[in-house]
Amino acid sequence: MLLKAIICEVLTREIESLIPGSPHEVDVEILTMGLHDLGVSMRPHVQQRIDSADEFGYDAIVLGYALCGKGCEGLRAAKTRLVIPRAHDCLGLLMGSRHRFLEYFENHPGVYYRSPGWIQFQKPGQRLEQATLSKRNIIGERRSLDELIEQYGEDNGSFLFEQFTSYRRKYSGLTYISTGVAEEEPLVRQARTEAEQEGWAFEAVGGSLDLLRRLLNGEWDTNDFLIVPPGAAVSATLGDGIFEAI
Amino acid sequence: MSSIKDLYDAILVGDAKKAHSATKAGIDAGLSPMDLIQQSMVPAMDEVGRLFEAEDYFVPELLLAGRAMKSAMELLRPLLIASGQKLGTRVIIGTVKGDLHDIGKNIVASMLEGSGFEVIDLGADVAPEEFVTAVQECEPRVVCMSALLTVTMPAMRTTIEALESAGLRDRVKILVGGAPVTSQYAAEIGADGYSENASGAVTLVKEVSSAA
Repeated sequence: MLLKAIICEVLTREIESLIPGSPHEVDVEILTMGLHDLGVSMRPHVQQRIDSADEFGYDAIVLGYALCGKGCEGLRAAKTRLVIPRAHDCLGLLMGSRHRFLEYFENHPGVYYRSPGWIQFQKPGQRLEQATLSKRNIIGERRSLDELIEQYGEDNGSFLFEQFTSYRRKYSGLTYISTGVAEEEPLVRQARTEAEQEGWAFEAVGGSLDLLRRLLNGEWDTNDFLIVPPGAAVSATLGDGIFEAI
Repeated sequence: MSSIKDLYDAILVGDAKKAHSATKAGIDAGLSPMDLIQQSMVPAMDEVGRLFEAEDYFVPELLLAGRAMKSAMELLRPLLIASGQKLGTRVIIGTVKGDLHDIGKNIVASMLEGSGFEVIDLGADVAPEEFVTAVQECEPRVVCMSALLTVTMPAMRTTIEALESAGLRDRVKILVGGAPVTSQYAAEIGADGYSENASGAVTLVKEVSSAA
């Protein structure tokens, strides 16, 4: 098959390691990580790339994404099959199973996650612009303390910074999901250092490339993958299957 | 009365210190807590909500207005309790189990307080059992649940089921919100309402608490 893979940057190293092993011809396009900060406004960014690929007659467009805070809800290709792994977000993809991630998540409250891509590609202070005009519901506030003080004054600026960063103080652990990509040791060390700086407990868990491998190899059993027929769209169910095609 | 206007203005511009001093001046001048709440705070929070709808105010302005209102309530609440004055309709609010995000929930809580409701904030990562215990002990009229992750949204359903199992579902109105939540999901899990933002939440709480 001739496949187009549209991938979140956070999965770059994992996808790179899997492409040579795929029996199919895979054209890869990588989009900047952090689009999920835009909420549902993430969709146009990914949709635009799908629309572009849709013209080329690929056998399928496979997505290195998940529901992603509903950023991928509504994605559709007019002429090509879309394939998306069943998971809430990249953490399920990196653990190789949405069930495995859910079990870990429920047993480890207050954990911040890192992976090779989360460390290597996250750009400090990166700010993505909303695709829509409305700024009403921005929760992903990334302004620095200095920027907030400049706009709102010392007292209010400090208060706002404290509010926007308070959820970080509720975390008590950092878990590094190891996916076995080359030269991972410095990344694990960096994650451990981050945990120590925050006063968090550190754990490294073994992830799994199984789900991403099957995505690129065309092994799309419907238990673990949603295959969206041409013209249909991804729709969240939030049940065990996460989403359906409508 | 200038304290009325001063408090109104202070909340609108998010000046917590001025809100506190205006409240104190009003109390010293003989205004009752209910005067200040009804004539300053409620109109101020209504105006904040309107400005948010008009996209003149955004999340930071809501947080600052809420903080100003809270500093006023610090002075007013003990006076209300001491005088035996019944606080407004009781509302419980919390972010569901597994979810630590609370900015939106905090904004809703402070806007509800500013609108005259009695708010019990359970915080974040609130298990279904904690919601049940809080409803049993506090007997609220309304329960508000927030989730910011799709992976924690199902906890809204299990919390409603827990309230049903405890025989408490009929005693409360349940409202849900949070960025990934939708009115469709709210209906699916048997909630009584959904709002996509804080000012809408206040309007909704007013509606459901005045309904039978």
